[in-house]
Amino acid sequence: MPTTLSRRASALLPFALLALAGLVLTFAIQERYHHRILTLTLVWATMGLSWNIISGYAGQISFGHQAFFGIGAYVTILLIVHLGLTPWIGMLVGAAAAVLAAVLIGFPTFRLAGIYFALATLAYPLILRIFMDFLGYQEVAIPMIRERAWVYMQFLDPRAYNLLVLAAFLAVFWLSHAIERSRLGYWLRALKENEPAAEAMGVDTFRCKMAAYMLSAAPPAIIGAIYAHAVLFVVTPDAVFGLLVIVQTLVVCLVGGAGSKWGPLLGAAIMVPLSETLDMTLGDRFPGIQGIVYGAALVLVMLFAPEGLYWRFRGLLVGRRSAPAAALQPIASPQPDAAAPRAVATDGTPILEAHGVSKAFLGLRAVEDVSFVVRQGEILGIIGPNGAGKTTLFNVLNGFLLPESGEVRHRGQPITGLRPNRICRRGIGRTFQVVRAFPHLTVLENVMVGAFVRDAAEPDARARASAALARIGLETRADLLPTGLTTLDLRLMELARCMATAPELVLLDEPLAGLGRDGIEVMMALIRRLRAEGVTVAIIEHTMHALVRLADRLVVLDHGRLIAEGPPAQVTRDPAVIEAYLGKRWLRHAEGLRA
Amino acid sequence: MLKVSALSVTYGGLHALDAVSLDVQEGEFITILGPNGAGKTTLLKAISGALPMVAGQIEYRGRDIGRLPSHARAGLGIAHVPEGRRVFPTLTVLENLVMGSYRAAARARRAETLETVFALFPILRERQRQVAGSLSGGEQQMLALGRGLMAQPDLLLLDEPSQGLGPRIVETIFEVIAEIRRSRRITILLVEQRVVEALELCDRGYVLETGQVVLHGDREALLRDERVQHAYLGA
Repeated sequence: MPTTLSRRASALLPFALLALAGLVLTFAIQERYHHRILTLTLVWATMGLSWNIISGYAGQISFGHQAFFGIGAYVTILLIVHLGLTPWIGMLVGAAAAVLAAVLIGFPTFRLAGIYFALATLAYPLILRIFMDFLGYQEVAIPMIRERAWVYMQFLDPRAYNLLVLAAFLAVFWLSHAIERSRLGYWLRALKENEPAAEAMGVDTFRCKMAAYMLSAAPPAIIGAIYAHAVLFVVTPDAVFGLLVIVQTLVVCLVGGAGSKWGPLLGAAIMVPLSETLDMTLGDRFPGIQGIVYGAALVLVMLFAPEGLYWRFRGLLVGRRSAPAAALQPIASPQPDAAAPRAVATDGTPILEAHGVSKAFLGLRAVEDVSFVVRQGEILGIIGPNGAGKTTLFNVLNGFLLPESGEVRHRGQPITGLRPNRICRRGIGRTFQVVRAFPHLTVLENVMVGAFVRDAAEPDARARASAALARIGLETRADLLPTGLTTLDLRLMELARCMATAPELVLLDEPLAGLGRDGIEVMMALIRRLRAEGVTVAIIEHTMHALVRLADRLVVLDHGRLIAEGPPAQVTRDPAVIEAYLGKRWLRHAEGLRA
Repeated sequence: MLKVSALSVTYGGLHALDAVSLDVQEGEFITILGPNGAGKTTLLKAISGALPMVAGQIEYRGRDIGRLPSHARAGLGIAHVPEGRRVFPTLTVLENLVMGSYRAAARARRAETLETVFALFPILRERQRQVAGSLSGGEQQMLALGRGLMAQPDLLLLDEPSQGLGPRIVETIFEVIAEIRRSRRITILLVEQRVVEALELCDRGYVLETGQVVLHGDREALLRDERVQHAYLGA
């Protein structure tokens, strides 16, 4: 297909240009010192790219990435010293060791939210340093080998190292490119922006983070091994596990911009030659001043491009894609196929059952001994006063919370204790009371995050997501960022994202909140159409005049307990429900209707 | 009391508000209607200083406040209760309420106002030691409104106070708002999707569509207006 061909070509072009630029520089440069700068630039660009995989794409900040750099260097050199193993194989062993090390930190910490991962990574290189000292490896020199030097990665020509580092850089650049275009890349960006929402959309956040961390651990080991041969010659804990390594990596990423494959390259291309040249020129005449100039350059970049130069330039070129919906045409309402009424027969098969579910927070009983069923093909309304435990109940049903007692069954099988992404994959989707968008992804990309659950390939997921947007009437918003969209657009986007996971049951948490009259009609038409297409709906809502028209059955929660259940007409006349929830005004209104 | 003239606000070069003018007298209750995306929230944000304006003027008690930062406007007695339950989730309910009363005029009467707020929302008294993040959505909404009242404001900007609340609580909220109105001590600008209730309470109203005022008038005129009846009252 021509489109995929041109996509391929457009992906290969920058890659080819970078390779060409690297080759030209390698052979154009004459001075040994300049070769060194080129090597260092590519080393730190590669380190930056590796760090960027876990910390830029996935947003899990690693303060200890030099651990992998050092592991690669030490493993490779020790294998030469003790076993005479060629570093070409040794560095692969080093990479494997680094991946193993990543698993060891990632496994316990990625299940915890927030700062634990960053803290663990901070400790890692410190421990390794002490460990190397303890083993007596304070200084390990690479043994000089004269004959067949290339087998031992020992070259006299600096261009050989340039080419070696260039190859490593290009490989990691390509890896980054592949991640950006892949399902993993979209999922990493989604979990960086909103982890619970990503989980609920079927993203196995734990596995994604592990995959990203393992991928980001291997290249530093390779580049560490090469760095030892090209620059160090004598490996010390300080040189490979030291602060300098992580500081260089972070500077390159922060200056260039994290979250894109171009950022670390840009950062390295500016900051490494700058610091080296400063050392040579100013530093020679006024020792120490190079540090001040370097620091000033860093501060300037942080002031004028706090997100990094790449994003700054991109922002200037492309302009922000967020737009106020006020300036756009109101969306064409999604073909309101004359509200397929209650024709869809529900055969009464329970699709979801809750048995005696209880959940408490710090002694406050949020949900207590609640049992009910959602039947295949129905629209079930869940109502009750604020704080009655409705959202907590949804959080138990979709796996965010583990109940203290009781059980949830989906199609007869227990799903209590499954993680939200598993429950989503089983066909239970949900939306949120306050819309949880991924703010730096476009509307289409937001929906793609859900679509990837069913389609692993990017073009398929894109097509599925586009179709979901079109069905909901939101296709004109596809390329906008969620910032600045109206409440209605955001709620529609979230519904499209949920539908892209192809659920058979959706849990909608106040989908009408914040919508005006027209919006309510649009959303109600959509929910009816979902049901007409065979999707079962459980919906929490306070907009009673809409819900009584929409729902087949209502269940009522009050203080965490189920107090009533039945068809809307019956439930809304129940004195207990009126007392707890509906209030006298509703009663007057309802009587007015009856009269 | 408040005079907004030809106010324009843009997002990324596109007009969210386009030359909007409105006038509010001391003690008046004004409601602002309009579909999603009309610019109602933007208008309140521009008045409280949460969003910068690109053109126009905002005069408050004869003083140009259009360039003042939001905390300075709050100091002049303008309280903004934004939509979407913007409470401080890690502070307790009580701390959240106290945070609302740092203005000198409010600090003096803090204990008294706190009693009033607790009387209006008994659930907040029950939960005063709980962190706000653990409240249900509706309770957070009450807390946000309560915090706004703690400031002893002269001008109260209310953005969809009933959003996400059950019918009975909505009744309470509107009773609270009616109560505030009866006292006539606080001037109110209300954005609400519950048009019937909002119109019942207001003295006058403005209808916004795609960033412009398309209609304004007193309550009776709006209730009689065909467009309002059709678009918002479902007649």
